[in-house]
Amino acid sequence: MSKSEKKIVLKSLDNEAFEVEKAVALQSQTIWVMCEDKCVGNEIPLENVTGQILAKVIDYCKKHAVVDGDGDESSEELKNWDTEFTKNMDQSTLFNMILAANYLNIKSLLNLTCQAVADKTKTIDEFHTFLNIENNFTPEEEAQICQENLWAFDD
Amino acid sequence: ISQYSTIMMKRGVKILDSVPIDLFLEIFSRLPSKSISRFRCVSKLWGSMLHRQYFFTELFLTRSSARPRLLFILQGLRECSVFSSPQLQNPYGKSSSLVVSADFHVKFSRDMWPAEFCGFTCGLIYFYSMRISEKKGDDKVPVIFNPTTRQYASLPETDRFSRSFLGFDPIDKQFKVLSMPFPKFSNDHRILTLGTGEMSWKKIQCPLIHYLLSKEICINDVLYYLAETSDDEEVSIIVVCFDVRAEKFKIIEVEESFYYATLINYKGKLGGIRQKYDGDSNTLELHMWVLEDVEKWSKNVYTLPADKIVDFRIVSVVGVTATGEIVLSMRHTSKSFYVSYFNPERKTLQHVEIQGFGAYYDENRHRVVTFVDYVEDLNVNDAKYLKSSQCLNITRQRPKLPKPQNRRRRNRGQP
Repeated sequence: MSKSEKKIVLKSLDNEAFEVEKAVALQSQTIWVMCEDKCVGNEIPLENVTGQILAKVIDYCKKHAVVDGDGDESSEELKNWDTEFTKNMDQSTLFNMILAANYLNIKSLLNLTCQAVADKTKTIDEFHTFLNIENNFTPEEEAQICQENLWAFDD
Repeated sequence: ISQYSTIMMKRGVKILDSVPIDLFLEIFSRLPSKSISRFRCVSKLWGSMLHRQYFFTELFLTRSSARPRLLFILQGLRECSVFSSPQLQNPYGKSSSLVVSADFHVKFSRDMWPAEFCGFTCGLIYFYSMRISEKKGDDKVPVIFNPTTRQYASLPETDRFSRSFLGFDPIDKQFKVLSMPFPKFSNDHRILTLGTGEMSWKKIQCPLIHYLLSKEICINDVLYYLAETSDDEEVSIIVVCFDVRAEKFKIIEVEESFYYATLINYKGKLGGIRQKYDGDSNTLELHMWVLEDVEKWSKNVYTLPADKIVDFRIVSVVGVTATGEIVLSMRHTSKSFYVSYFNPERKTLQHVEIQGFGAYYDENRHRVVTFVDYVEDLNVNDAKYLKSSQCLNITRQRPKLPKPQNRRRRNRGQP
């Protein structure tokens, strides 16, 4: 296999091109299907992902790829890396990552980013701000529904 | 900071609009049950979303089933407390010093029958006899309790000389309680179906007079318990199988030494484990029967070698996890409380120290009843008959633990 065949180019929504090892890109089921079907050349346009997000997705895939037997990172170390990876992402980046992971169909990344949002959203206040949701219950409705879920508020 | 978050929120509005609902549900299914119940009160859209059957059965329950827990009931003189801790997944070849902490759920300060007699079926604890009103002298009734939501239901009282078990029919999603005479030999069995308006006990036919010997276990839609029966000549040991759906009894004969066994659910099959401790070598033998086919038992004996960490004389088999590990738990609170996982196929033994029972050891020792495979369930099935636990005299705050320093000093003083 020649060197060029082992690499493919991913092109973002804003026309940024990333050359990556095929093994890295193929963690995306979407890209895998595209390559299987041979419906694309060596350059794959990804119309739903910006360059800024795609760069992060590629970082993740590189870390998680098993390239030429070079994937002997311990699971503990990978876990720590994952935690650091999402730790300082703001809300907009996290949701963009979720959308990208969903579109590219990378299960482990979708799992990681959804968990990261869930971990940052435990109290009602966090829920309101993070998900930007307004309370549209009438006071009576709110009182009733809170009564039903009383057990969740007692600490 | 506020300016930053305002900007974040404005940017957020745009991105949130483009996130499809099913991705939000993916996120919510990863929240703890408590947060979900809180968020039901946040807005109409999310309230209805988080109440949907699909969310619970497909998403939330799948996730919470993937992280089953151990449930502990600590029984004191006139109170009992409920705790849970993570259940170890794949407990092989780990280090010998695993420690997890237990979460406090609730404390009951009520008269009740000893917690050894309580059961645990499909996420609900069944206290078969508890006094729920303040008045002394009032009769005790069966109480069903959801440790996740702390909701409960009290049932019509039963005969004072009876025991009862909670069963679940997974097809009709129906809980039923089976009551039987105890401690006496008679044929007076009764059944109660939950959530049918006015609940009342109805009599059912049992083909064979038997005497109850053990606690129950509910596997799929069958309640099993050990009993003995006698004809003119001799006494024999049987397993009584009660089909919760069809409300019919079936009897399986077992060998005599099954008398000492604890009933287990071994990967969906009925089984029994008898513990035999050898004092000379400090080894523990586990004799395990599994009902492989109709009335055909397999039997295996496993020997657990002497162990420095856990004294096998003070542990009991409490169940088998869905992945097939036999779980042994101490019978009383202790300075260091351990749960052990034994895998009969790999012959591995792993101890895990459970922290958080300290306060229950210092004052007085508590009996501990342990259940395996507790899955947090937000009561889709039982919401219709459970109510908020305000009238139960329970404590929701974790009791304060003595300061660590004091405890250490006290512990050092002990021999």
